[in-house]
Amino acid sequence: MKFAFLCKEKGSEGRGRVAIVGAGPAGLAAAGYLVCKGYDVEVFDKLPLPGGLMTFAIPSYRIRLATVLEGVEDLKKNFGVQFHLSTKVVCGKRHDEGDDFVKNEVQLSNLVNEFDAVLIATGTWQSRKMKIPGEDAEGVETALEYLFKVRAHEYGLMPEPPVPRRVIVVGGGLSAVDAAEVSLERGSEVVYLMYRRSIQQAPAGVYEIKRLIRKGVKWMELANPTRIITENGKVKAVEAIRMKLGEPDASGRPRPEPIPGSEFVVEADAVIEAIGEYSTPPIGEGCSELGIEVDRKGRIVVDENFRTSHPKVFAAGDVVTGPSKIGDASLLGLRAAKAIHLALSKGSTRL
Amino acid sequence: MSVQSEGKASRKVGLQELRLIDYERCMGCGTCEAVCGFIHDDRPYIKLYELYPGLVRPISCFHCSKAPCIEACPTGAMSRDPETGAVYVETTRCIGCMACLYACPFGIPEFSRVSNTATKCDLCRKLMHEGLRPACAAMCPAEAIVVAPPEEVGKEVRVRVLKKIVLPKLEALEESRK
Repeated sequence: MKFAFLCKEKGSEGRGRVAIVGAGPAGLAAAGYLVCKGYDVEVFDKLPLPGGLMTFAIPSYRIRLATVLEGVEDLKKNFGVQFHLSTKVVCGKRHDEGDDFVKNEVQLSNLVNEFDAVLIATGTWQSRKMKIPGEDAEGVETALEYLFKVRAHEYGLMPEPPVPRRVIVVGGGLSAVDAAEVSLERGSEVVYLMYRRSIQQAPAGVYEIKRLIRKGVKWMELANPTRIITENGKVKAVEAIRMKLGEPDASGRPRPEPIPGSEFVVEADAVIEAIGEYSTPPIGEGCSELGIEVDRKGRIVVDENFRTSHPKVFAAGDVVTGPSKIGDASLLGLRAAKAIHLALSKGSTRL
Repeated sequence: MSVQSEGKASRKVGLQELRLIDYERCMGCGTCEAVCGFIHDDRPYIKLYELYPGLVRPISCFHCSKAPCIEACPTGAMSRDPETGAVYVETTRCIGCMACLYACPFGIPEFSRVSNTATKCDLCRKLMHEGLRPACAAMCPAEAIVVAPPEEVGKEVRVRVLKKIVLPKLEALEESRK
């Protein structure tokens, strides 16, 4: 990748320093735009390698680490971008998934004071939980945790995660698809994909589900876990209940309703929850000084110019929209970078 | 007509840089369309279409070396960039008749309501002249968009195919040795 795809060398138009929090698709695309305009850019990320979910969740057969690093090296060498890795920027205190490699903490307010503008692009690093009995058993984890460990191991950063014999992945989105496919690739013998609605409603799309079925994943639709059955604190099986589709809910999709008395049990050594992720803004407990507004889903509220309720702080990518595709996140990163340039130059902006 | 539009600009005629979309590597993430739209006032020239629920893939101009759109253009507006070989619309000469769209086997040229002319991908002419890559290829995270001289593209594709055929056999061999 070349994040600075618009120029060969640093531009001269912009004057100022911009801090970018989060080195995922949105943050890196924004960095590329801003250096082409001539800004001094510093990127902060809690992970030991840049790329965000591209590097630590999406499987390597889809996106290679080298592809991301190539673009990052270009930003460093040719544009003087400074990367502060293993560095979590936060206002107050908070813990998210993927915090395993944090070595330094930087207060967001320090960046706001030190830089001319701050762009927050911290993504979605918190998984939704099923909230069912037995969920804290050994062998239950989120898709994000599972995929993170697999990729961290590929980089030699973590020990090899176990290969469970029987896995139940719960969910119907792209995280579920990736977790199921990676389980299969790593040699799990039986991989179930359990989804509470039917294949037609699966957010990953019928094509992706059918592709997995062809690869050997056992598709189990209209079923929802009700309880994790454990033995010595470890997953032994999942009790699930059959569902039927009811009237459309707020999302417009038919609401899945449990069929009373239809409980059944599936044996498993591991359960991977992939039922959605939440935005993770760098706003934690005890943060009051910046006044950055966050909605009830944890998403940072921005105006049409990507500005948060703090005039020097902008936000883009999944932390604003919730989970999206790389293209969507990159586009918002680029647009926010353009808005920052406009705000800092207070003049007209050309591409 | 083709002679007129290609003749004097350069000795080099036809395709110099070939863009290939590797639909097996493509995961439909939409980065190509996003960056293309960003540099073209939100009107991308590489577009994704959902062909089946969950199967989304991009298409754009192939910059054919014997481009029917150039042949069909009555005003010589459909041009070929001598340096890259990219086919592009010289807007000032275009009358918006869309003969190019009729001629194109892939339905690529489109009518712009802004300029009232035909419009299409120019393989990021401006960026290419500065020694940069087309935005879609530069930013694709899956390395699914390859832009290079045809010989190099051919080599890249053949190596990818070979890897797909040979590597699993190698892995199986190593597995059996364990």
